[in-house]
Amino acid sequence: MSYAVEAENLTKYFGNLIAVDSVSFKVKKGEIFGLVGPNGAGKSTLIRMICTVLRPSAGKALVEGYDIIRQPQEVRKLIGVVQEKLILYAPLTPVENLEFFGKLYGLDSKVLKERIAELLEEVKLSAVKDKPVGTFSTGMRQRLNIARALLHDPKLVILDEPTNGLDPQSVRWVRDYIVNLKNRGLTVILTSHDMYEIDELADTVAIMDKGKILEIGKKEDLKRKYGATKIEDVFLELTGRDLRDEISGRLRRRGW
Amino acid sequence: MKGPLYHLYVIMKKDLTEFYRVRARLVSMILLPILLMLLFGYMFPSNGTITHIPIAIVNQDQSTGAINVINSFIYTAESSGTFNVITYSSLSQAEQALLEGKVYAVVIFRQGFGQELSTGSATVQVIVDQMNPTLDQIVTAGIQQIFSQLNVQLSIAHGFPASSFGTILVNFQGLIPGALSSFEFLAPGFIAMSVVMGGLAGLAMAFSRERELGTMDGILMTPVSRFSIVMGKAMAQAIRGIISGIIIVILSILLFGVKIYGNVFLMAIILLLGILAFTGLGIIATSFVSDQESAQMIMLMLEMPMIFISGIFYPVLQLPWWLRDIAYMFPLVYTVTGFRSVMVMNAPLSAVWNDVLVLLIYSIVTFAIAIPLFQRMVTK
Repeated sequence: MSYAVEAENLTKYFGNLIAVDSVSFKVKKGEIFGLVGPNGAGKSTLIRMICTVLRPSAGKALVEGYDIIRQPQEVRKLIGVVQEKLILYAPLTPVENLEFFGKLYGLDSKVLKERIAELLEEVKLSAVKDKPVGTFSTGMRQRLNIARALLHDPKLVILDEPTNGLDPQSVRWVRDYIVNLKNRGLTVILTSHDMYEIDELADTVAIMDKGKILEIGKKEDLKRKYGATKIEDVFLELTGRDLRDEISGRLRRRGW
Repeated sequence: MKGPLYHLYVIMKKDLTEFYRVRARLVSMILLPILLMLLFGYMFPSNGTITHIPIAIVNQDQSTGAINVINSFIYTAESSGTFNVITYSSLSQAEQALLEGKVYAVVIFRQGFGQELSTGSATVQVIVDQMNPTLDQIVTAGIQQIFSQLNVQLSIAHGFPASSFGTILVNFQGLIPGALSSFEFLAPGFIAMSVVMGGLAGLAMAFSRERELGTMDGILMTPVSRFSIVMGKAMAQAIRGIISGIIIVILSILLFGVKIYGNVFLMAIILLLGILAFTGLGIIATSFVSDQESAQMIMLMLEMPMIFISGIFYPVLQLPWWLRDIAYMFPLVYTVTGFRSVMVMNAPLSAVWNDVLVLLIYSIVTFAIAIPLFQRMVTK
C-alpha cells in the first residue's frame, strides 16, 4: 500500500450544482501533493470529503487504505487538517485549545500534556501558552492551528491555503515547516493560490477547475509537457480562460 | 473511559469555559431577566374576559338547607358562564386538584352549614389558587358576587333584610398561608422564562457559531460520535441555565423578597428538563440554517410568541382555545406551571408529575430527532 489517498470518481452535488465532478487521483505516501485551482474550483469541497466532514454524493476514496465512508473514525485518526478557516477558540488559551482537541482524539492526558508542550515549542508559542488566542496575530494563530492539526500524530496532513493572509515571515515559517513535515515522512496535501509556493514545495501537482481535475502529474513533467518554466504558466494555460479572454477583449475594445 | 460520555463531558466543559471567558455574555444573561422582573413586578396584566373557570365544591353537610344553597350556587355560577363547577367528595381531593391547576378555587361548605344558616349567619370557606393575581381577582370577585346574589334571594325568601338573618358569609383564604405579593406569583414565571431563553440563545450560538467559524469541522474531524457533540453542547446549555437560574433566584430573594416555599431540588429538575426540551427543539429548528444570524432569528420566532402564551404574564386560561392548544404544544407552559407550583405552592412531585413527564418525553423525543438530523445537516 504505497498510497496515502486513492480517490475514485469522487462526486459532490449541492442541490443541482456539481461542486466536485467525478474526480480520481492518487497521492503517494511521503510526497507533497499540490492541489491548485481558481476560486470555486471545488478544492475545499474535495478536501472536506476526504476529511470525512462532507459525505460524497458518489464515488469512493481510501485514506491509508481506510474507506472514508465506511471507516470514517479510522480515517479521522490518520488525518490532520488545516482549513482556510482557523479551527481554534478565541476565548481559550493555546493549551486549552490543544487539550480540547487532544481529548477528542482520545489522547491519554499525560501523553497529551507532553505532546502539547512539544508542539508549542515547535511552533514557537510556548511563551504565550496561557494567553487567550483572541489576542494573537494571524501568524501566531495559524502556527497554533497547524500544531492542532498535528496533535494526534497524523500520517496525512492536509493544508488548505495555509499561508493565505500571512506576513512574509510567517509565510516563510509555514513553508519551511511543510518541508519539515515531509522530511519526517508525512504525506502532505497542499492547496494554494500562490503558484510560487506550489512550485517550491509540491512534488505532484493537480490542477482543478469547475469540479474536475484537468491535469495531474509530477511538477517537472507538467512543466515539460506545456513547455513552461513555472507551474503558474501551466495553471494559467489550463484554467480561468473565460476571465482572461473577457479582460483582454475589454482592453482591446478600449484600444489597448 | 474514553467513550462517548467522556467526549460529551469534554465538549460540555469546553463550551462552558468559552462562555465563562466572555464576561459580557455572562453579565447580560443575568441582567436582562432582572430588568424584566423589575419592569413586570410593577405591572399588572390586563383583565381579559375569562369564562368557564373551573372551580371545585366540597360539601361536608348533607342538610337540606346546605343542599339548597349549593344547588343555587352551582346554578348561578354556571348560568353566568363565569365558572364551571366540579363537585368533589373530599377536601383533600379538591385541594390536590387546586395544586395541579385543574381548578382555581375550592368552595367548602362545612359540616353544620345548614344548621348555622337556619339560625343566623353561616360561613363558607373559599380557598383561592393565588397563582396569578389577575385570575385570583376575577375568581374572588366572581364568587363574592354569587354569594351576594344568593343572600338577596335568601332574604327575599325569608322576608327579612339580608344582613339580619340567614346570611352567608364568605371567608377567603389563600392556598399558601401568609400574605403574598403579586410579584411572588410572577417571579417563578420570569425565572423559568429567562433560564429557558438564555438556553435558546446560547444554543443558537453553540451550534451555528461553530459552524460559521469553521470550528465545527474541527470537532467533526475528530473520532467523536455525533451523539457526544449534540449532547455535550446541550448539557453545557443546561448547566449554564441552572447556574443562571440559581443566580436569578438568589437575586430575586435579595432584591424583591421572593420566597421559596417548595423543594429546591424539584425546582431544579423541572428547569433542567425545560431547558433540555427546548434545546432539542432548538437544535431541530436551527439544523436547517448554517449561519448564526438566521439561527438567532429562528430562535426568536420560537421564543417570542411562546413567552406570551405560556402563562408567564397572564393565565393560559385567558387565551382563546386555539391559542391555548398551541401553547400546550410547546414546553414552556409545562416548565412555567410546574416550576411555579413547586416554588410558590410547595407542590409535591405527585402534583407536578404531569408537567415533569411531558417535559421528559419532550426532551427524549426532540433529541431522538435532533441527533440524526444534526448528523445529516452537517455532512450534507
